[in-house]
Parts: sequence; C-alpha cells; structure tokens
Amino acid sequence: MILRKNPWILAVLCLLGTALAAQSKGPSVSFAPVGTVTAPRVAQTMVDLNFRVASGFHINSNTPKSEFLIPTNLKMDLPTDIVLGRIAYPPGQDVSFPFSPDEALNVYTGDFTITVAVHPLKSVVPGKYVMHGVLRYQACDNAQCFPPKTLPVSFDVKVVREKSSPQRNPAQSPHVH
Amino acid sequence: MSTPEDFSPVASPDSTPEDTLPQTPPTPQPPASGRSPVALIVAAVVIAGMLYFGFHAARRPSATVGAAGGQAALKGPKLAPDFTLESLDGQTIHLSDYRGKAVLLNFWATWCGPCKIEMPWFVEMQNQYGAQGFQIVGVAMDDSSKDDIAKFAKEMGVNYPVLLGKEAVGDEYGGVPALPESFFISRDGKIVDKIMGLRGRAEIEDSIKKALDAPADSNESPSMKAQN
Repeated sequence: MILRKNPWILAVLCLLGTALAAQSKGPSVSFAPVGTVTAPRVAQTMVDLNFRVASGFHINSNTPKSEFLIPTNLKMDLPTDIVLGRIAYPPGQDVSFPFSPDEALNVYTGDFTITVAVHPLKSVVPGKYVMHGVLRYQACDNAQCFPPKTLPVSFDVKVVREKSSPQRNPAQSPHVH
Repeated sequence: MSTPEDFSPVASPDSTPEDTLPQTPPTPQPPASGRSPVALIVAAVVIAGMLYFGFHAARRPSATVGAAGGQAALKGPKLAPDFTLESLDGQTIHLSDYRGKAVLLNFWATWCGPCKIEMPWFVEMQNQYGAQGFQIVGVAMDDSSKDDIAKFAKEMGVNYPVLLGKEAVGDEYGGVPALPESFFISRDGKIVDKIMGLRGRAEIEDSIKKALDAPADSNESPSMKAQN
C-alpha cells in the first residue's frame, strides 16, 4: 500500500537495486538447464548446450585471434562406454573494443550454443546417466579483464536400446530347403 | 533441448499480484503524491550519479598525504605491502628495493586486452619520468609460462622490470579481482593512488605526478625498514 501511494519510493528502490547490482557486477556466464536427452545406443545424438554471457561482458571465442588469449573451451567427463563426438563451437563475432580499436577480437557475447554429440556404445546398459563437464572462459568488459573461470555443466542422458533392424531369417531364404 | 528463453526466470502463471491483494473498492488516488514524472526522473538521475561517483571515490584512496599525527594521519595513504618476486631475468626483486623512487606497480596479464593498451604508454612514461626517480614495475598475474610472458613483454617493447606474480601478492593488494590494476607508490612506500581498469593516459600521468610529488614522511615505512 505504501508503495502504491508513493511510487517514487518504488522508483528509488529500483534505482538503488540497479546501482548496487551494477557496482557488484562481475563477469558471469550462465548455463541453461538441459532437459533429459534420450540417446539410442549405437547412434549419435546431438545436444545443444546454451550459454549466456552477461550484458556488458564478452568472452573469447573458441578460436581467438591471438595466441595469448584464452579460448572458451568445453571439457566433458564422460561415463565409461559413452563416447562424445565432436564438440561444435559457434563462430565468434569480430568486435573492436575501445581498448583494441585497431584489432578486432573474436568473441562471444549474449547467447551462444555449443553442440556436443553423444554416442552410447552397444555395451551401455540402458538407463539414465549424468554427463558432467566444465566450460572454461575468460571474460572482459570494455576496460578490464577478469581471470579465467570455469562453469560446471551437466545434463542427463537416457540411454535406450538401439532401434532393431530387420533380421534375416534363414528359414525364409528360398535357397534353403 | 533448451532454448535461450530458459535463462529467464518464469513467473508463476497461477498467481498475480492482483490475486494476492485484498479486493477493496477503488479509492480516489492522489496525483502520484504530487510528484511529476520529471521530478522522479531527476531524482533518479541524481541518486544514480551520487552512487556512481561515491563508489568510484571509495575505490580510489586519498591522493593527499595526511598531516602527521592524529586522525589525519590515520586517513592518509597506506603503506604498500612489500613482497619478493622473481623477475623475468631470474633476479629476486623486493618492492622495497625501489625505496626512494616513486613506483607504478602494475598488475597485468598476457590475456588482458586493456593491459596491452597501457604498455606502450608505460614504456614512454618510464622514459619520460625515469630521470625524476620514477620506476614502473609490472607484475604478471598469469598462468602462462615464463617464456610466454617474456615473449609477450618483448613484443610490447617493455623497458621496465616484469615480475612473475603470485596470488598471495595480489591478495596483499586487495585481491586484484580484475586487470589491469595499478598502484602508485610514493618515495616513502605509501600508496597514494590506485587505478582499476583501463583509464586515460592523462589520468595515469596525473597519478604518477602525485607519486613523484608526494612529500616523504620523516618516518621510514616499515616495509622499507624490513630490507635495511
């Protein structure tokens, strides 16, 4: 009621919150939870992992232009018998920053997606498995850079039996009598 | 599969503020407590400005050396913590080795883009102010190998000592949460200014002059005494 009668209080509170949030801002990359992925055995299932770089920050792409820059890199620890295919990184954007007006950096900003291919072998017992990994990144804003960080990444994979292929029945062969 | 929308918190669809408020007959509302939207915006901008400048003022220590004794002295610049680090050429360097000189202590890393912008300025500033008793000391807060750091420093034409940083040294200087970060130390070992992040060259020069011009305290700093 007080806030309804005095909207300026609400405005000031919002402003205070925004200002305090801005002061305590730090580089952050967040990971969107992934629903359970159903992966048949002996097949490759593509999984999109969605990340978001906080507004005002950028991180190097997987292929930065300088050997001294730290690339964004996803490393997965996999359960036995579940093979990870190629990790596909999106191309970065070439962006010039105030601190490098003459040299564009290849970076990720905003939302980006890394795709991993999950490939359970035939020996995997059907069931639910948790895939763990870490995203390593190094963030900067327009005036400063922050030490490299790691972000835990995980998602569930439900391994199911492979689709059965048509079986040849020798008894049906016309050559067998 | 998730979509980018998954990042956003989703409000519960089955409750709204209106649902939780008691249903009362409408009452006449005063005209926003008599405050116009313009006044609100002005108030908001003023408060935001105060917060911004207050925050940045708090991040920079006083540039003036406090008067001797009393509370003014307590509010004066702090002593720069002494440390011992290895330089790129294998020497053991103490910060206190530079006693009697004004020092720009610059924390940087090879992966830090803004740090690269400052380095050519530092090279020129070392040439310009070195004769006045000014010394830049770089501290590489880097996981890279010594060779990589040396290669980088050579490419940048660095003409001042570069030390291999340690986290403990960074902690002594407030943690160094982001790079670049520079501390300006007077001849008697006190931090008279500090710059976080990339700033203008003129601002850095102003801070160098503060360090050079800061009157030396008659009492030698403990960090300096430790090396005597």
